[in-house]
Amino acid sequence: MAEVARTRSVGFRATGGWIGHFLDSEKVFGYVLVAPAVAYIVLLVGYPFAIALWFTVSNATVAHPIANFTGLTNLVAVLDDGIFRRALINTFIFTLTSQALQMVLGTILAFLLLRKFRGRRIARALIMIPFTIPIAIGAMAWTWMLNPTYSVINWVLVHAGLLTQGPNWLGEEYPAMFSIILVNVWRNLPFTAIVLTAGISAVPQEIIEAASLDGASWLVRWRKVMVPIIAPILYIALLFSLVFTFTDMTVVWLMTRGNPVDATHVIASYAFQTGVVAGSLGRGATMSLFLFPVMLVGAIVILRNLKARTLD
Amino acid sequence: MAVLTQARVQHSTAFRLRKLRGQVLFWFVLSLFIIFACFPVYWMFLTTFKQVNDLYNLQNNPLLFQLAPTLDQVQYLFERTNFSTWVLNTGEVGLAVVVITVVICVPAAYVLARSQFPGSGSLGMGIFLTYLVPPTLLFLPLSQLVVGFGLVNDKWSLALVYPTFTIPFCTWLLMGFFKNVPREITEAARVDGCSRLGAMFRIVLPLSVPGILTICIFAFTLAMQEYVYALTFVSSSDQKMITLGVVTDLIRGDVFFWGSLMAGALIVSIPVAIVYNLFMDTFVRGITGGALK
Repeated sequence: MAEVARTRSVGFRATGGWIGHFLDSEKVFGYVLVAPAVAYIVLLVGYPFAIALWFTVSNATVAHPIANFTGLTNLVAVLDDGIFRRALINTFIFTLTSQALQMVLGTILAFLLLRKFRGRRIARALIMIPFTIPIAIGAMAWTWMLNPTYSVINWVLVHAGLLTQGPNWLGEEYPAMFSIILVNVWRNLPFTAIVLTAGISAVPQEIIEAASLDGASWLVRWRKVMVPIIAPILYIALLFSLVFTFTDMTVVWLMTRGNPVDATHVIASYAFQTGVVAGSLGRGATMSLFLFPVMLVGAIVILRNLKARTLD
Repeated sequence: MAVLTQARVQHSTAFRLRKLRGQVLFWFVLSLFIIFACFPVYWMFLTTFKQVNDLYNLQNNPLLFQLAPTLDQVQYLFERTNFSTWVLNTGEVGLAVVVITVVICVPAAYVLARSQFPGSGSLGMGIFLTYLVPPTLLFLPLSQLVVGFGLVNDKWSLALVYPTFTIPFCTWLLMGFFKNVPREITEAARVDGCSRLGAMFRIVLPLSVPGILTICIFAFTLAMQEYVYALTFVSSSDQKMITLGVVTDLIRGDVFFWGSLMAGALIVSIPVAIVYNLFMDTFVRGITGGALK
């Protein structure tokens, strides 16, 4: 209260033109300065989102964007589509497998990078590379590495005596799915590792020492002492990682385009195929919004867990 | 006594052995991770500079140069494709994105970090959460909006759309910088009769130049590497930005120009990789909304 009174009196004394004077109310100043950002987001995120919602219940196409209300026709048609159902399952497999691998490998990598050794900075920079190059570029490099004829990975595997003949990575169902997950893990592992590194190094050393003096094993120290402390960071990293993996289409689109025979589509890539390539706005929007409720609930749960202490 | 010493010696040998084994294991696992991370880049590099006869000869060991390295593929990229146009487009659009982002972010981040007014907390949170809205949710309605603006198949449509993710990201990052400028300095200025706007322009902004430059770099590189919106809104080669151009234009029908494609990939990756490596911690701080201190 006292602070408010002080700001007021200071505001009164302040000079400047009428704009300066007008803006001297903290409230007005705040709203005026934040307005452009809010306006931009409302116009180019909020409004399109509303249009997307309208698309889901209309028969809009690229040729006829002015459409009629068709109720749940799109939803029924989408649910009836075998490729979509396959894409839905793939999306979950893709996201959950990538996430699990990233968490396990990321934890190992984080502990490696936390050790003090010569060349640590260089090692760290090298490990970061996949995350620092554009994902579209990375996906193309992998597509070339997994090329049916000139695959360098197959060459290595065959010459190491592990295989007699490598698979056609992107041309067969399971290898293709495996490749997509692999590239996604390759891309996101550095991010997971760096977040974990930062989190772990923020844990006070005394607490860990105290726990180990009390006879806690490595696993117990990790699960009962460190994880609870770094949980907020883990949560937010997980949130980003989940949302972006869940909705990503770049890797799939560039590497397999959903092939072979539409077996590797994820929802985002199939929505792109339907909405942009085939021009069926209603169906495409229904697909791309299909998982929005899941994501929203997930985001709310995670953000609740974060509590106020992390985002002050 | 002698027994004790012997025991100690044995103990320390065992200890040293265990330590050595640990070291070996450590370097082995670390090398695996490094190879996994870097091999694709090495492969890009090889592909870029190999002669075509070398690249497509299955008898050769693909991991090494069998014939002398060549610049043919790079030359092809510059002379026979629209590569220089894409670079130019990237520069223009990237610059526009940077300008829009800075003009909108600086004031917003400033008040969200330093003022308290009803709803400021939830506004900040709301802007942060916008970053979570993925392109694949919005590309269909935005494509219609782009039609409405008359920007079909026009690179400037991207300058309009990219701020939707650069603004949330940069605002959040910038808030961190503004919070670090001590409150006392602005309060003192205000007592001396400086207006709120004046305090911002004359005191806080000059002290936050490094922060503002950082968000310029991020806005530019985020725009430069975007793929989904670019693929949706732009189809003519002469309107493409660099990333999209490289990954789409060097495939003609079923023929992939792998050498030139990887050359372009390398040229795009190097600057971005350097920037992100230098600013990695800041970048992660931006993504995690300050959850990492």
